[in-house]
Amino acid sequence: MGEPANAPSCVGAFARAWAKALSGTSYLPMTHAQLETLLQRLTDLLAEALRAEPLDLRVGHRVADELVAAHIASAEALGRTVEVIQLRLIRDLDLVADDIEDRMARLLATVATGYARALRDRTLDEQESIRRAALTARAEAEQALRASEARFRHQATHDPLTDLPNRTLFAERLAAAVDASTGSSRRVGLCFLDLDRFKRVNDSYGHQIGDRALVAAARRLRRAVEPHLVARLGGDAFVVLVERSTGTGDVLAVAEAALATLSEPVVVDGHDVTVTASVGIVERRVADTSPDDLLRAAGSTLQWAKTAGGARWALYDAERDGQERARQALSAAIPVGLERGEFYLDYQPLTSLHDGSLLGVEALVRWRHPQLGVLRPDSFIGLAEETGLIVPLGGWVLAEACREAVGWTAAAGEPPYVSVNLAVRQVRRPGLVQEVRALLRRTGLPPNRLQLEITESTMMTTAEEPVRALRALADLGVRIAIDDFGTGYSNLAYLRDLPVTDLKVAGEFVRGLRAPDDDPGSRTGERILASLVSLAHALDLSVTAEGVETAEQADWLRAIGCDAGQGWHLGRPAPADQVLAYLASPQSGLNQSGPDGMPSHEDRRRKPGNVPTSGGSPASAGS
Amino acid sequence: MRGRIPAGAVTPRIACEGVRALQRPDWAPETIDVERPSVARMYDYYLGGSHNFAADRAAARAMVAAVPEAPLMAQANRAFLRRAVQFLTAAGVRQFLDIGSGIPTVGNVHEIAQRHAPDSRVVYVDVDPVAVAHSREILAGNDGATVVQEDLRHPERILAHPDVRALLDFSQPVAVLVVAVLHFVADDDRPAEVLRTLRAALAPGSYLVLSQASDDGRDEAQRAEAEEVYKRTDNPLWVRSRAELTAFFDGFELVEPGVLWVPQWRPETPESAEDAERAVFQGGVGRLGG
Repeated sequence: MGEPANAPSCVGAFARAWAKALSGTSYLPMTHAQLETLLQRLTDLLAEALRAEPLDLRVGHRVADELVAAHIASAEALGRTVEVIQLRLIRDLDLVADDIEDRMARLLATVATGYARALRDRTLDEQESIRRAALTARAEAEQALRASEARFRHQATHDPLTDLPNRTLFAERLAAAVDASTGSSRRVGLCFLDLDRFKRVNDSYGHQIGDRALVAAARRLRRAVEPHLVARLGGDAFVVLVERSTGTGDVLAVAEAALATLSEPVVVDGHDVTVTASVGIVERRVADTSPDDLLRAAGSTLQWAKTAGGARWALYDAERDGQERARQALSAAIPVGLERGEFYLDYQPLTSLHDGSLLGVEALVRWRHPQLGVLRPDSFIGLAEETGLIVPLGGWVLAEACREAVGWTAAAGEPPYVSVNLAVRQVRRPGLVQEVRALLRRTGLPPNRLQLEITESTMMTTAEEPVRALRALADLGVRIAIDDFGTGYSNLAYLRDLPVTDLKVAGEFVRGLRAPDDDPGSRTGERILASLVSLAHALDLSVTAEGVETAEQADWLRAIGCDAGQGWHLGRPAPADQVLAYLASPQSGLNQSGPDGMPSHEDRRRKPGNVPTSGGSPASAGS
Repeated sequence: MRGRIPAGAVTPRIACEGVRALQRPDWAPETIDVERPSVARMYDYYLGGSHNFAADRAAARAMVAAVPEAPLMAQANRAFLRRAVQFLTAAGVRQFLDIGSGIPTVGNVHEIAQRHAPDSRVVYVDVDPVAVAHSREILAGNDGATVVQEDLRHPERILAHPDVRALLDFSQPVAVLVVAVLHFVADDDRPAEVLRTLRAALAPGSYLVLSQASDDGRDEAQRAEAEEVYKRTDNPLWVRSRAELTAFFDGFELVEPGVLWVPQWRPETPESAEDAERAVFQGGVGRLGG
């Protein structure tokens, strides 16, 4: 603890001893020299206090406060301080007084109390400050978490390009709006909106401009239909949710506003981008609908607006929608029907008008639908053509007709040929020739007993392929007929290039023949028909009249030289076995099921060669 | 006293990283759980501070039971930091980046540096949100010092942080302090690469101050016990040898007397360097030449 000093100047020696005693008691944020300077000052204070009269006990507190404030603040530091003062202060500073020991004891007591107090206060302050920091940190963490959650929620529910609500948010809002528990009398509306031909904008200006046009459109849309929710469903499709609608008028107004705002051109990067939109509108009672239902209906309605040319709205129509859905369901059932063998063929006679003989039969497809009963072709062929299902269906008809026809026999001469309709898609499809060739080979049906009926529209193409295919088929010996001649394009030019065997004149011309003689229209029809027949004969084509329903019509057709007829008067469509029955027993008419009496068949000679065919036509070769 | 130990290393383990990236943006802090010991507040306790909670004190007492020198170690490291900053200030350094600064109590870098050079600028970095909140309160009103919450293991984020960039000019020398924190960076987290990234951002004349717990001459059982204590925190302990520490100064010129037990680094009195290995920490200062 150092050597005793006898002079007051030995304050420095005491302070050094004190500093040494304190070393290691706690971390001291100062240099050793700084510590000694501090302690010297405190030593002076203590010495002065011990000498002064009366004893100032506040000095002890002051020294203690300063020690703790200088971070000399540990239990060890207090112990060492008491020890070093008690042991050395009086001696080192040579303090003399009668009651010096008493004064020292009282002074040390105040240093110890002051120190304990200061230390306690410091502890309490530090506890408070760390607790406050923890609270602050927790509050910040929670706030940050909320902010991040809000941001993630926003990202999850908004479209990044336009910042409009996305499909997710729209679905949530729609579900809430349609929640039946909110009251069954409430109404809700949707405007399903799509920019017309927007792809063209992208194609002409690039996607960057396209995107900016979309952003501009989104912004306008949002403003125009406020306060209703506008969501971007993707691409250029948007939807506006009209909650608490009071009727169709509310939603119509929203659609009008949307169309109006979008019709103004947007200038993007100097480009004047003009877009129009189509809107499908649905408005109904909440109780009568579901979110899926609403959105589906709005989507269908949008298609109506599009189909009508765009730049307009369309209002949902339950009847139309019902029909479309039924058609859709029917079309979807075609493949299954094919698989399950629900289709079958009836055959309608093609009768010679010269001698009443049966030249051929036209295959007509029927669908024995499990729910709807037997369906005629007009209820599903159109659908099949739209969807492309005509290809498998038509293929089946062709194969089935050949399969059945090959078994037919005739009492004399050749059995009737079978005439099968070919859809445009079938003719344009590559592989038709191979298909037919393979079919003939497989079934063994002679090519001249197969006739393919094509429509005029089949030929309304600049493509070479169909013409080439038909030539190849004609080369095989297959007969080619133009169906419904006179109702379509009636471009006579193709008759020059095509290997056609027969013209089937549409029933419209034949029906006109029943009109009274004084009807000038009917006279015109007769003249057209007569001219058609002579034209066809000039081209070495035979003519078959469709829709022959009366004996008068048949007589007149015969009179103008028409070769063959088809219609209820001559025979209704019937199953193959009835065709076979007729063939087996010539006395039983093919048209037994017909409403009209049979023309006389007594002298009917079954001679297919009777049909005038052009010798120059490849189709006639070998017949 | 400052809670050195806590700093930078910290909270998210590898597994947490993915979660953090996925669910929480970088700026969203961890949840605050004062029931879990914080290495920053344990360090404060070693230094005699009261900026700590019961869980911190319990863990710190367990550590002292295992390694009785723990308080001494904290004091010695704190004194090393003070001497190093005084040295840097004298060498003309006016910018400090203190990574893993912990609970800012007494004898902080800015106090030391600004006492000698009032224009000194200091950025504290710590990953412990409570330590950061506390620092922010302490530093309120001090234009020359600030604190950012970041993880030493992402030095590129620290360097790119706008608050760091606002206060420090990296075209001028900066002293980077990585004091008593690297032992919370696992080898898998590539401490050498972390230091390389920091070094690459520094101008010539910059400094690196480094210290960390070292096992040179320690018996295995004691080390294992210490490591056990720190497993209760978010920051397991990675003690390293002097050779490993020296290698961390790659690219820097070591300032005399090199890497050694921290009390031996430029002691104020010969006695203060006695029994230096009891301080557990080794460290040194390196200067970027050129």
